[in-house]
Amino acid sequence: MASGNMKDIKRRIKSVESTKQITKAMQLVASSKLRKAKDKADNAKPYFKALYDTMVEIQSENADFLSDYHKKNESGKTLLVVIAGDRGLAGGFNTNVFKLAEERTAALGKDNITILSVGKKSVEYFKKRGFNIYSEYPGIAETIRMPMVVHIADGMTGDFKSGKINAIEVIYTTYVSPLTQTAKLQEILPVTIPDTMEKRLQLPDYEPNPRTVFNQIVPKYIAGLLFGAIVDSFASEQAARRSAMENATDNADTMISDLSLLYNRARQASITQEITEIIGGSSATV
Amino acid sequence: MAALFKIKIITPEKVFFDDEGTLLIVKTGDGERGIMANHISYVAALPSCPLRIQFEDGSWRTASLSSGLLKVGQNKATVIANAIEWAEEIDLDWARRSEKDARERLSKLSPDEYEHELANLKLKRALNRMAVKSQNK
Repeated sequence: MASGNMKDIKRRIKSVESTKQITKAMQLVASSKLRKAKDKADNAKPYFKALYDTMVEIQSENADFLSDYHKKNESGKTLLVVIAGDRGLAGGFNTNVFKLAEERTAALGKDNITILSVGKKSVEYFKKRGFNIYSEYPGIAETIRMPMVVHIADGMTGDFKSGKINAIEVIYTTYVSPLTQTAKLQEILPVTIPDTMEKRLQLPDYEPNPRTVFNQIVPKYIAGLLFGAIVDSFASEQAARRSAMENATDNADTMISDLSLLYNRARQASITQEITEIIGGSSATV
Repeated sequence: MAALFKIKIITPEKVFFDDEGTLLIVKTGDGERGIMANHISYVAALPSCPLRIQFEDGSWRTASLSSGLLKVGQNKATVIANAIEWAEEIDLDWARRSEKDARERLSKLSPDEYEHELANLKLKRALNRMAVKSQNK
C-alpha cells in the first residue's frame, strides 16, 4: 500500500513539474513580447500626437467648422471594433473585453450594430453568438504594421462617409501597468475634439484649404488610433499572460513542495514499516 | 550661408529624421515647394513624392515619401509621413514587383471602384520609389 502511494505521488510531482516548465516558458516568452510591444507602442506615439495636434489646431482656428466626419449619420449601424487576443491562458484578459462588449451591445441593441473583430478569440466569440459581422482579422496583432491598419481604416471611413455605418467605437484593453490592464471603450467617429487650443496670432496657410487638409488627416488619425489600440491591446495581453503564468508557476512550486513533503512522509512510513516487519520477522525466528 | 531650421520627419514606426537643414523640398497639390528658415506657418497634404533636404555643408539627401502631411511653423518643419525611406534604402526589386501587382489590379478593376483608387495610389508609390532610386545612384 505504502509503495503504491509513493508511486502515485511521484507521478503527480512529475506532471506538476512539466506543467511548471511550460508555464515558466510561457512567462518568459510573454515578457520578451511585452517589451517589444511596448517599444512599438512608444514609437508610434509621436506620429499620432502630431496628427492629433494638427486636427485640434485646424478645428480651433476655424470657428463653425464642420468636416465630413463631425456629424453622426442618421441611418446605418454602429460599427463596434472589438480587439481581443489570439490565444487564451492570459488570465481575465479576453473575458474582460467581452464583458464590456456585451454591455455595449446590450445597450445599443444587437440589430443596430455590426462587428469588426480583431484577434482569434474575438472572431470566435462573435461568430458563435450570431452577431452581424463587418469583417474579421484573426492573428494580426503581433506582426501588425501601419499599411494594414491604413487599409482597414480607409474602408471604415469610406463606409462612414457613404452612410453605411453611423458611428465607430473601439473596445480594447489598455496597458496601465505590468499588473493592471483595463478594458476600455473609445469612440472614434464622429470625431469629437476638444476646442482647447490657444488661438495663435498668425494663422497658418492651409493648402488647398483647412477643410480638405482636415478631411485628409482624419483617415490617418483613425488609422493611428486603431494601430495604437491594437498594439496597446497586444501589450496588455502579454502583460496579462505574464502575470497569469507567473502565478501558475508559483502555484506549481507550492504544489511541488507540498507533494514532496507527502512523498517523504510516505517514504518514511514505508521504511518504518519495513524495519518493523524485519524486526518482527527476526524476533519470531529467534 | 543659408540659415538653418529644424526638420523632423515622423512615421508611425519611428522618428525617421530629426536634425537641422537649410532647405526642404517636397511636392504639394500645387507643385514643388521649397521650405527655408523662417517660413510662414503652413500646412499642406503631400502626395507620394521625392523629399529632398539640403544640409549646412551644401550636401543633399533624398528620400521617397509615400503620402503625408507637412507642417511648418516657428522655424520648424514637421513631415508626418505614412512611410518614407532614404534613396539608398529603397529595394528596387520590391518596388518593381509592387508596380506590376498594382498594374495588374488596375487592369481588372473599373475606375469607379474604391479598390481602383487604392491600386492607383499603390502604383504611384511604386513609381515614386523607382524614380527616386534611379535619380540618386
